[in-house]
Amino acid sequence: MPKCTINGKEIEVKAGATIMEAMYQLKEPIAHYCYHPGLSVAGVCRLCIVDIEGQPRPQIACNTQVTEGMKVSNTSEKLKDGIKWVLDFHLINHPLDCPICDQAGECGLQDQYMQYGKYDPEMAEKKVKKHKVVDLGPTVVLDSERCILCSRCVRFTEEVSKTNELGIFNRGDRSEIGTADGKLLDNKYSLNTVDICPVGALTSKDFRFRQRVWYLKDSETVCNGCSTGCNVKVYFNKEGLFRVKPVQNDQVNGHWMCDEGRNTYKFVNSEVRLLKGRVSTSSGVEEKTAGAVAKQASSMLKSAGSDAVLVLSGQFTVEEYESIVSKFVNDFKSKKIYHWNNNKNQMNDFDGLLIRGDKNPNTKGLLKVLEKHGISTSWSDLESALKAGSVKALVVAAPENEEVYADLPQNIQMFSKAQNLIWLSTRKNQALSDLKGNVYQIPMKSYIEKSGTFINHAGLEQKFKRATTIVSEALTLSEAADLLAGQEFKMSSTQIPNVLVEEKRRPDQVMLEHRKKNEFVFRRGTL
Amino acid sequence: MSIVQNNSEKSKWYLPGILTGMGITMKHLVQNLLNKKQMTTLNYPEEKYEYGPRFKGNHILTVKQDGSLRCTACMLCATNCPAECIKITASEHSDPAVEKFPINYEIDMLRCVFCGFCEEACPVDAIRLGPEWQTPGISGANFTYDINHLAHRPSLKGGILTHVDDQERHKSGI
Ligand code: SF4
Ligand code: SF4
Ligand code: SF4
Ligand code: SF4
Ligand code: FES
Repeated sequence: MPKCTINGKEIEVKAGATIMEAMYQLKEPIAHYCYHPGLSVAGVCRLCIVDIEGQPRPQIACNTQVTEGMKVSNTSEKLKDGIKWVLDFHLINHPLDCPICDQAGECGLQDQYMQYGKYDPEMAEKKVKKHKVVDLGPTVVLDSERCILCSRCVRFTEEVSKTNELGIFNRGDRSEIGTADGKLLDNKYSLNTVDICPVGALTSKDFRFRQRVWYLKDSETVCNGCSTGCNVKVYFNKEGLFRVKPVQNDQVNGHWMCDEGRNTYKFVNSEVRLLKGRVSTSSGVEEKTAGAVAKQASSMLKSAGSDAVLVLSGQFTVEEYESIVSKFVNDFKSKKIYHWNNNKNQMNDFDGLLIRGDKNPNTKGLLKVLEKHGISTSWSDLESALKAGSVKALVVAAPENEEVYADLPQNIQMFSKAQNLIWLSTRKNQALSDLKGNVYQIPMKSYIEKSGTFINHAGLEQKFKRATTIVSEALTLSEAADLLAGQEFKMSSTQIPNVLVEEKRRPDQVMLEHRKKNEFVFRRGTL
Repeated sequence: MSIVQNNSEKSKWYLPGILTGMGITMKHLVQNLLNKKQMTTLNYPEEKYEYGPRFKGNHILTVKQDGSLRCTACMLCATNCPAECIKITASEHSDPAVEKFPINYEIDMLRCVFCGFCEEACPVDAIRLGPEWQTPGISGANFTYDINHLAHRPSLKGGILTHVDDQERHKSGI
């Protein structure tokens, strides 16, 4: 375990670690393009230079191993000047594209230029022109002029996706990234190349030109595309969600995520969402707020009592399952709770990297809650009960990712045989709205709009926080469960913890209660 | 609001002040009657005041030589706009040399404060504030100007040519 000193800070690293890794460990800032912690070392961008005591010239940090007692620094003026000149070489043939470039705002070149550059270009030669807007495949667009040839994308297809589509062609300043003739960059992880590209050379077709990145806020959450539960960041503004990117978590997904998971944002946006509650009975169709529908359904459910049946899909959080299952078991005294499993056969499929056959983020969580309450039912019981027409009231917690539920249309037909169907879902669904009979549709909150826990395939509990609100009137499953059981919301407004730390509060601090009084009780002076 | 009454002795001497004011008014009246040319007021709206060409009035979107919009839909103007009155929708252009262009560009003139920040922010001389400023409208008029109005309204006589043309830029090797 060699020890070294970096910018005056001492650190112990594991044997064979590079200076770059030590700097990452210390969270010391260092300029670099080609190094990526999830890929092999290439050492081509030469931007990561550092001074090592006792060595006459700067060395690159990503390809130099730490030795015992090494003293490293990257703060001297001379070194900054060196970085500036390396950057100048990178920018020789770089086009003036920032206004149209989708990377602007999160671009490595822009960042380093603001940090180290700020010079006027001194090149007298004309820029080398290369291919622009190259269609690499179904998901990615390449702009060769913007590429700095860091080879991250090439190493990704070589080492991670192992599909080897990309390569560097030609030589010298005519080198370009490309695919072999007739081949496409087409794999299930292709969009990771867009994430790791430090510049705007690779852009995602889906996100291209839709938003400027500085108009987006981000928030970390857990992907609900499959049971792997990749850690992701969602990017949104008041118009909705725009993209999903992976967040490093070595326990779960490393640095990557699959392309399919990046589409999960599409079923969260308001275009596909159920925005209003809807009751259709023999006396016609009525649109109501979600809470009103839930209350109306609750009186109907009460009369059904222990005949009430609950169907749960694996796309809600553990807390929500716990809440609705305990309501059914304790309030309705019904243990007729069924697990809607859409992919029984592919349940344990795995592609070796991330993608799993179970397209529900929380199957494990659901099974755990059911087990805790001692519920073991079989789907065929439900089928035969529905066929016999003996189900009075059926509550379905429907999936938000309807696309992976191939059995959805046929199951909707089957569920419609229940005398009353209460459909809890984030999605609007035409087949459901067309149903005759008593249907109560209650809009639910999607995974972006609530906090909770998903338990992934390996049993790892992952907590996530609410990112934003898209359908403000929608309910979480727990809230719906409360209302369906005839209870009011449990709003703990008085128990909101005081953000001001108690002991730091001034004795004369005006607290919320007093402020309210002041505003509503006393008039603020007179004319 | 509190009203403070000044009851001091001094406040009773208001008449000299009023008379001085009347005197100034009379002086200007006589001067204007004797020398109409020097009169500082205009008979608006029959007479109109001509502002300098640098006056910052209604926006213009400039065009390239081929008549297409210069704007690249970078949204820097919209980002810089303090009134948040610019709305742009970008799209992919069929020509890879152009790459990105606005399919929709709207300015809500009723919110605009004519600060000119959009003009300052634009990297390609695509938006300018022009000399036009009298653009009244009757009730129900549309003050959200779109591309059609901003770039091709009749008063622009076919569009204002931009200083920054791609062709030239590419020729000089930038
Ligand atoms: S890659 Fe970066 S520096 Fe280059 S055009 Fe895009 S935003 Fe600008
Ligand atoms: S396309 Fe991006 S990731 Fe690939 S070599 Fe060029 S700059 Fe690096
Ligand atoms: S002049 Fe100012 S307020 Fe008006 S559009 Fe331009 S930036 Fe916005
Ligand atoms: S007018 Fe200028 S600043 Fe505004 S989007 Fe167009 S190119 Fe960008
Ligand atoms: S990061 Fe070390 S050479 Fe590129």
